[in-house]
Amino acid sequence: MLISIIYLVISLFLEVIMSNFFSSTLSDASLFTTIYTIIGLVIIYPHFSNLKKYFLLTIFFGSLFGILYGCGFVFGLIIFLLIGLMIRFLYNVFPENVFMTNLISYISIFLYHLLSFVFLSVFSSISYSFMTLINILLGSIIMTIVYTSISYYIFLVIFNKKIIK
Amino acid sequence: MLGRKKKMPKKYIVIGIIVILVIIIVILSFILKKERKLNPVEAFLKDGFLTVEKYVTYPFSFIKKKINNYSDLKNTLKDNDILETSIERIDSIETENVELRRQLEALKDELNIDYTLTDYEYLNATVISRNVGYWYNTLTIDKGTYSGIKKDMVVINSKGLVGRVIRTTTFTSDIRLITTSDTNNKISVHISNGDSSLYGLMNNYNYNGNYLEVEGISNTKNVNVGDRVYTSGLGGIFPSGILIGEVTEITTDSYDLAKIIKVVPSVDFNDINYVSVLKRKSEDNVN
Repeated sequence: MLISIIYLVISLFLEVIMSNFFSSTLSDASLFTTIYTIIGLVIIYPHFSNLKKYFLLTIFFGSLFGILYGCGFVFGLIIFLLIGLMIRFLYNVFPENVFMTNLISYISIFLYHLLSFVFLSVFSSISYSFMTLINILLGSIIMTIVYTSISYYIFLVIFNKKIIK
Repeated sequence: MLGRKKKMPKKYIVIGIIVILVIIIVILSFILKKERKLNPVEAFLKDGFLTVEKYVTYPFSFIKKKINNYSDLKNTLKDNDILETSIERIDSIETENVELRRQLEALKDELNIDYTLTDYEYLNATVISRNVGYWYNTLTIDKGTYSGIKKDMVVINSKGLVGRVIRTTTFTSDIRLITTSDTNNKISVHISNGDSSLYGLMNNYNYNGNYLEVEGISNTKNVNVGDRVYTSGLGGIFPSGILIGEVTEITTDSYDLAKIIKVVPSVDFNDINYVSVLKRKSEDNVN
């Protein structure tokens, strides 16, 4: 549990560190962008047998993400909770290996961008173009694969298949 | 029978899901409709976390700065030649500047104008986080209400207009970039075309073509490619005279009545490290 929390905090810090190197705005999406905290949630899931603890972490880090980088804790909480449920569903469907973990990570990132795009387009005063969504989804592929693969192997070594009760 | 869980009928599950969806939609429509202020707990968490983050990311920012310095150094010789030619003109510009300032003061008195760009204090700040959530198109700077920053203050850098403050905590502020198509916040602009000035409205940002669109200029008016676009000062938020960008293309609307002007921003929004927040010199007296 402690390792998972530390890993999620590092992922949360990485958002800012990497944004300094691969800056990405709506007008100019970088090819090396992703949401590290969401990948963190994907990576730690197989190491939890207690789903209550996992969803508590999802809610906490979703709220924190919303406060720090979004527009408040409620929006972050809702989006991350939906993503958490999707991660659970996908891990029940797919076998756990590095390829599938990468796929689940990308689907989760896809879901984050899709939900943000839909909710913000419908409810906020900002208008977005569909091409922006496509650009950011394409720009998320490389870094999602890189970070997921590195994290997957690190966790494999650290936990050695240990499961958090 | 005891200990056996009664299975919930499907229709109740469907009703439950619909109720949850409706609640989510109501909450989202409430929280996303306008830029809400962070509550004290959210603000405290944001301040605390971003302060820690500032120190954690310092080595990485330092490395990035050094890399940028090195690439700047490579252009030094070219810059030096340009600067040498400029130095020769400095004396005459300075004299002209004094005269213009005197004329400006006289005109302000005559026209009873309260504020111009020179009546603003420049509060310098460092960018600590760049558009992490992606869809908000914001930058976070290391100055907040403690330094006197308030919502809707204007943010610029050496190249021109960057955006406006949308949210503040005690030690940080979020800036929404002008490259956001916000239907609630259109910017009034004027296009400097030799002796004449044209006024228009910056309508939205075209994400595909990477340009700002200015509308509301009559088709009979003359605008040229290369003309500079500034804030007009109308609308109350942005003071006049801040450079936005340069005209790159001129088209007309579907009725052929008004011009649609494509403007490329002067600021590189992916390379902003330092910004200045414009704070009215007599802000305290005004409020």
